[in-house]
Amino acid sequence: MFTLYVREGDSGPLHTVQLGAAEVLRPVRSLVGIAASPFTTTREAVERALDSSEKKALEEKAQKHEEDAAEAARLRQENERLRKLLKGERASFDYSPLAQVVAPVGGQFTERIVLDVGAEDGIKPEQPVVVGENILVGRTTSQVTPNTAEVLLVTDPNFAAGVRIIPPAVTERATSGESTSGETTTSRETTASGEASSAEGLLRTNWEGYLAVDYVNLSDEVEQGDFILTSGRAGQRELLFPPGLLVGTVESVSAQDIDQYKKIVVTPAAKIDDLHEVRVITDW
Amino acid sequence: MALAAVLDVALTPLLTFGWVGPKFMVLGVVIAVAGLPELQALLLGFFGGVLADTLGGGLFGVGALGGVFAATASVRIRSIHMKREAHLVLAQALAVAAYDLLSLFAPILLGRSGPPITNYLVGGMMPDVLLNAFLAYLVGRWLLRLVTMKEE
Repeated sequence: MFTLYVREGDSGPLHTVQLGAAEVLRPVRSLVGIAASPFTTTREAVERALDSSEKKALEEKAQKHEEDAAEAARLRQENERLRKLLKGERASFDYSPLAQVVAPVGGQFTERIVLDVGAEDGIKPEQPVVVGENILVGRTTSQVTPNTAEVLLVTDPNFAAGVRIIPPAVTERATSGESTSGETTTSRETTASGEASSAEGLLRTNWEGYLAVDYVNLSDEVEQGDFILTSGRAGQRELLFPPGLLVGTVESVSAQDIDQYKKIVVTPAAKIDDLHEVRVITDW
Repeated sequence: MALAAVLDVALTPLLTFGWVGPKFMVLGVVIAVAGLPELQALLLGFFGGVLADTLGGGLFGVGALGGVFAATASVRIRSIHMKREAHLVLAQALAVAAYDLLSLFAPILLGRSGPPITNYLVGGMMPDVLLNAFLAYLVGRWLLRLVTMKEE
């Protein structure tokens, strides 16, 4: 049965039966999700109330508030510029209607959700799923029914995407239209064409539980705070995702002499555990 | 069994933390086959697993084989002289361990990546077995009594 399921392809009878069952179970999942939401909220509130270290943490947070606010303002500006840049690069995305997250699905080894849009809304397997202004949170799987679609989240260990790592200074220069041949605001190397060199790698969540970019050469220059954007290609091959979708920022970079590649930990730009409304990019 | 399969699909994802979560389908099989002849028990376990596979959307066959293992554990453990509650808890623990191993190795057979095996055995399977054995002890006793009363 296992062999048959694997060999039959996405349109085989066992897959079809599963799709039908997913469609039938959609109301049940919705109801359970709605019923569970107060418990989830209550659990979070109780955890906050029982946490005695929270008061101390809040005091520390208050002390740092002013400098954080200044930093936040700078980041907001930077983020805004980046978003404008992304929009400018790809204005031709086609989106599905706004989709509600119905419920999580799967078991121990998967991070997936079900959306309340499906093939009737133009959704097909392996399309990128975004929140906000093109922040990548996952991709659709082959489990797309007329009214539902399953999404493999970026935090699933089986998710992978080709990405570029771009220093914020590059986006500043690009948006302000400065020539990079003259004034440079960064010490990073630049290519002959004047563009700052950006490292490329493969984004995926490893089994230790953090989002990381793999296969980044030790010689590539990557710093904390750099932006992670989809590259849209691997070598000469086009990938599942359009280029320029924001995934997150670099949280830490480390490497040892014996390593072949850098260890880059990424902070997702969106709260993957707290998704409510998303959109699927149906064409680009 | 049907209720257990639906619970497994709708409720388990909400109650799963990391690698640990309740296995309602396994518990359903272990309880439902208690008192049945061996062949009937195995068939019920198999088709209960197929139902869970159908509703769950995961790799088809993992639930079916897990159901057969759960039924086998439930049937074989009956021959050991223990209290009925102990039978139930032990059968559930063995069945969940088998189900976890199946869930671990099925994707690896497909060439997908899996967690480091030692990490999973210690941080995933063991707590999962303990949680589900405890769940069987809490809920299973009452359900088992209900099933037995109906049979009588």
